Amino acid sequence: MSEYFQDYVAVAAFAAFGLVLVVLTLGITYLVRPSNPTKEKVTTYECGVDPVGEGWNHTFIRYYIFGLLFVVFDVEAVFLFPWAVAAESLGVPGMIAVVIFILTLLEGLLYAVRKGVLKWE
Amino acid sequence: MILTQFLVLGAVLFSLGIYGLLSRRNAVTVLLAVELMLAAVNINLVAFEAFWNTPAAHGQIFAIFVITIAAAEVGIGLAIILLVFRNRASGNVDELDLLKW
Amino acid sequence: MDLDYHALAPEIVVAATILLVLGLDVALPRRRKYWTAFAGVVGLTLAAVPLVTLALGGGPGARSMLGGGYVVDDFALVLKAVFIAGGYLVLLMSVSYIESDRYYQGEYYLLLLTSILGSLIMASSRDLITVFVGLELVTGPLFLLAGWRKGDARSNEASLKFFILGVLSTAVLLYGMSFLYGLTGSVTFEGIRTAGAGLLDSGAFRLAVLFTLIGFGFKITAVPFHFWAPDTYEGAPTPVTAYLSVGSKAAGFVGLLLLCYRAFPSVTEIWGPALWVLAALSMTLGNLTALRQDNIVRMLAYSSIAQGGFILVPFAAAAVTNDPLVIQEAASATIVYVIIYAFMNLGAFAVVIEGARRTGTSMIDGWAGMWRYAPRLAVLGAVFFFSLAGIPPLAGWYAKFAMFLAILRPGNPWTAALAVIAAVNAVIALVYYARVGKTMWMDPLPDGASDGERTARPMSGALALALGISVIFVILAGVLPFQLAGVFAEAAKVVTAGI
Repeated sequence: MSEYFQDYVAVAAFAAFGLVLVVLTLGITYLVRPSNPTKEKVTTYECGVDPVGEGWNHTFIRYYIFGLLFVVFDVEAVFLFPWAVAAESLGVPGMIAVVIFILTLLEGLLYAVRKGVLKWE
Repeated sequence: MILTQFLVLGAVLFSLGIYGLLSRRNAVTVLLAVELMLAAVNINLVAFEAFWNTPAAHGQIFAIFVITIAAAEVGIGLAIILLVFRNRASGNVDELDLLKW
Repeated sequence: MDLDYHALAPEIVVAATILLVLGLDVALPRRRKYWTAFAGVVGLTLAAVPLVTLALGGGPGARSMLGGGYVVDDFALVLKAVFIAGGYLVLLMSVSYIESDRYYQGEYYLLLLTSILGSLIMASSRDLITVFVGLELVTGPLFLLAGWRKGDARSNEASLKFFILGVLSTAVLLYGMSFLYGLTGSVTFEGIRTAGAGLLDSGAFRLAVLFTLIGFGFKITAVPFHFWAPDTYEGAPTPVTAYLSVGSKAAGFVGLLLLCYRAFPSVTEIWGPALWVLAALSMTLGNLTALRQDNIVRMLAYSSIAQGGFILVPFAAAAVTNDPLVIQEAASATIVYVIIYAFMNLGAFAVVIEGARRTGTSMIDGWAGMWRYAPRLAVLGAVFFFSLAGIPPLAGWYAKFAMFLAILRPGNPWTAALAVIAAVNAVIALVYYARVGKTMWMDPLPDGASDGERTARPMSGALALALGISVIFVILAGVLPFQLAGVFAEAAKVVTAGI
């Protein structure tokens, strides 16, 4: 077996351990806990809200806009990681560049706020 | 370092993406197919980067740019699809027939 | 960090203008939004200043940054000047058009300036990453601009088609680029050229080159990758169409020029025939379809596809020869054609915007007898359309002349055949360009149209300025072409250096 695959032995071990852990905890609680199902208890858990309608449901359109904003800002943060790794050697000029980068993102956020995108009506 | 497997994975993903792009009617699914193709590119880039193992790490930098720009494109794409949906009440690409050759 | 801020000044000024426009858009009340247009015009003018100081300042010939990935040399300077001038014209053309819609003015200029910034980056990019980022910066905002009229289903459709094919081409391009990087171990064009010389027999390398070409084929709307273009051009607002057919197309050609001449000189037998076919198909199909169009915007869309074919012709000449002078001449012909095409096509679109506003239609028939109520516009229309057709002494003739000179130089049967195809197409093109001229000058007014009604609305000052600048360029470049060509030859020398 090549060294390459040996690296994955650790992954396999962790996966197996994770599986055992789940089976163990769920198994033990199954043996110990009282079983008294009511209608309320067996319904699907949905963020604490009573589930309504089918699983295939139209999502409120506002979620898309939040989703879009989240994706864009979240992914821009990727650029911060390489900088963070090399921050010490880049010094002050690097710091200034990153501050400009974040200020640019902030201006975008300010724009979104002013356009009322983040308002929930 | 085994390079071929990653390239095969990339090629399979890329082909799936092209298939999805050409065969699906729903615009959101088309967008997903494009994401699949870009994921294939990222797999290639990172695999090649590990293969060359240069200190400049150009492959990884490239991959980061691909990821961010892909996210921006999805943002643009979803916005356009929403717009089309709002005006036509349909997100199917084959129903776009106002403009013809 | 080894950044040369003087060399980067045009990009920095444009980027600062973008942030300023966004800030103004947030801060200003709705009826003051026109300040954003003003800021954009001023910003672009300021961005041209460092270009002049860089060109006159001498100093180091090429200013190289980011490990050779970003270079400001004569080629970059000339093309940046063209991109800024083109962007400036589009901005002027947009002012009255967008103001009459009364919404999202700030965003419009923001997106347009972002696209211009992308084309500036394209001109300087000398590695795969920068080319990719530049190209996406050019096209990304354009997806949104194409769908500008939110309530108009045609505009939506234009935008969605453009978007889907745009991202498809990006994905194909990137897949090719990932293999270029993987096989050569380098992202810079110099590195790819050096390592590519040793990969002549590698099928994967050839495939990667082809994928890259296909990706660019979409961007420059070469047949058979053109299907999105007519629909998008027709559905998008006209100033955006003008920018699409010039700015984003020129950016695509710049990328293609850099890749072919600087990164792939070792595999001319791949891109030579491929571009030969693309050029022949684009010219022929573009022209033949343009003949049958009734809508002037759609006609210009097909005409711009055909013109793209003419621009591709010199590539075929460069591929069949090893003589550096011939290659340089070919590169120079492409650059000259792109620049002259930019000005005359923008002028033609400015005429279309004004003509459509006066007559209320973009159907060619509706423009009949225009000289009676808008004589100046009819003259300008004739100037730009005949320049596109390549009639001396308007700039278009020199573009075609340089193109024919470049393609005939190698004396190879294949390039000679392409020259014949190009000559036939130049004649076909004359037919439909002349038809617009004939309609405007000779046909009687359409029924029920009175002279007085159509003269009543004066042209906006900004549009008049745009028309004036482009007509002056088209005539000057047509009368004094060789002085102009001297400048472009310098740029071409840089592109082809070291092949």
